[in-house]
Amino acid sequence: MAQTFPINIWINEERLEKLQSAGLAHLAQEAFAGLRKLSVPTDEQQRDAILRKFPTAKFDSATTKSIELLPRDIKDRIFTLVVEKKTLNVIDAFLAST
Amino acid sequence: MADVNNALSPHGGKLVDRVMEPEKGRKKAKEAKIKLPIDGSRATEIMSIAYGFFSPLEGFMGSKDVDSVCKDMRLQSGYIWSIPIVFDISEEEIKEKKIKVGDSILLTYQGQPFAVLELAEIFSYDKTLMAEKVYGTKDEKHPGVKRTYAYKDRFLGGKVTLINPPRINPPFDKYWYPPKVLRQKIAELGWKRVVAHQTRNVPHTGHEWLMKGAWFASNADAVLVSCVVGEKRAGDYIDEAIVLTHEALRESGYFREGTHLTSILLWDMRYAGPREAVFHAIVRKNLGCTHHMFGRDHAGVGTYYSPYAAHEIFSQIPDLGIGSVLTLEWWYCPICGEVTYSGLCGHEKEQQAFSGTLIRSIIQDGVKPPRLIFRPEVFDLVMESGDKYGFGSPFVAGEYLAKRNPVITVPPMEV
Repeated sequence: MAQTFPINIWINEERLEKLQSAGLAHLAQEAFAGLRKLSVPTDEQQRDAILRKFPTAKFDSATTKSIELLPRDIKDRIFTLVVEKKTLNVIDAFLAST
Repeated sequence: MADVNNALSPHGGKLVDRVMEPEKGRKKAKEAKIKLPIDGSRATEIMSIAYGFFSPLEGFMGSKDVDSVCKDMRLQSGYIWSIPIVFDISEEEIKEKKIKVGDSILLTYQGQPFAVLELAEIFSYDKTLMAEKVYGTKDEKHPGVKRTYAYKDRFLGGKVTLINPPRINPPFDKYWYPPKVLRQKIAELGWKRVVAHQTRNVPHTGHEWLMKGAWFASNADAVLVSCVVGEKRAGDYIDEAIVLTHEALRESGYFREGTHLTSILLWDMRYAGPREAVFHAIVRKNLGCTHHMFGRDHAGVGTYYSPYAAHEIFSQIPDLGIGSVLTLEWWYCPICGEVTYSGLCGHEKEQQAFSGTLIRSIIQDGVKPPRLIFRPEVFDLVMESGDKYGFGSPFVAGEYLAKRNPVITVPPMEV
């Protein structure tokens, strides 16, 4: 399987409620003894496209190998797509919509 | 090249002191016939030279030192030095101001007399060569390379004297310890072994354990937190948050009183990886530290350097007279149920690595990180600093860059 580079969407109360209402709470992973996150996968091409489109975002190549620091409203849009499509594989749809 | 003892502390054997009393400074300023305004980066480099942070440098480098530093990582005198400290200027400015070798040049900052440069040399240098030698790449996406390519085409070399010492503004004033002052404080406190922690981040518990691990490893009396205060990039933590949260670690008891001191270093990070690690070691030796901790990706950026490049370089140069504490990362392990050392924890598959970037991302999402990875006192102070100093955000944005309180203020001086 090709390597993937996740976008971590950290679950606050508002996001948790939406996930629970959609029956998707199982998609959230436990992290750091007290947090929950959605890890939305990107492939190399998608990762590069996102970093180009959103210059404040950063690929943490050293430690976590994840895309971090995407603006909150952008993460909200990705989160909404996950809830609507009931899958984590939404990046093509997200990129097509931006 | 001379065979010198690089282990001497301060570097070169003598702490440089080129700070003049304002009364004498005024006199020196009067003798200078040429006035040249400088920017904040140059002003803080002059302070670092004059107060001895950069000992044995007494001024901006001439061509021989620049060439020797770039190619051999040494000054002409033979002492190890890894980053060129240069004063760039355009040919037009040289002509317009009629600048020539031998001139005393009054450098002004914030409209006030600030320092005097005794001009010993005007020269050019191949900026591509400088970038390649210092940063190991010619890629202009590297911030240090970008800075190098942005230099104007000529350089001025010569000794500088700070003639009008600036005021360090709150909240940084409490953490300003020039080498002479810090060495005296270390002696007064009776500390024999002090390990330096270089930072440009608000501390998460991975940083905290790096410091504590370095304290154990070096059998130190204390940790000196040396916060780099300088040029910022959008998305970085604001300087105030970095300094105040490090202090909060001790104030909240995560470090006992008498084992930890927060300080600032005025410096624009070059992100030169291993070469910057050498520079950091020299500066912290000049401050009086006996050890320096180097973790993963020390002073690196992107993927230009291998994660432990800064560890490898110390075996390739002479003893600098400051012990290197070389450390791996700390991670959260759900099996161990704690933040633990990656070199000891056997749960590689289960481990959850975290970084400053990841924690910034959590905060940006409006989520409070758990105390195991981010102390609640640090979190609260980050948010408070954002409100007080960052125009509503603890992260650098345009408004902060444009309107932040200056770190230094040069007092009025009539000449």
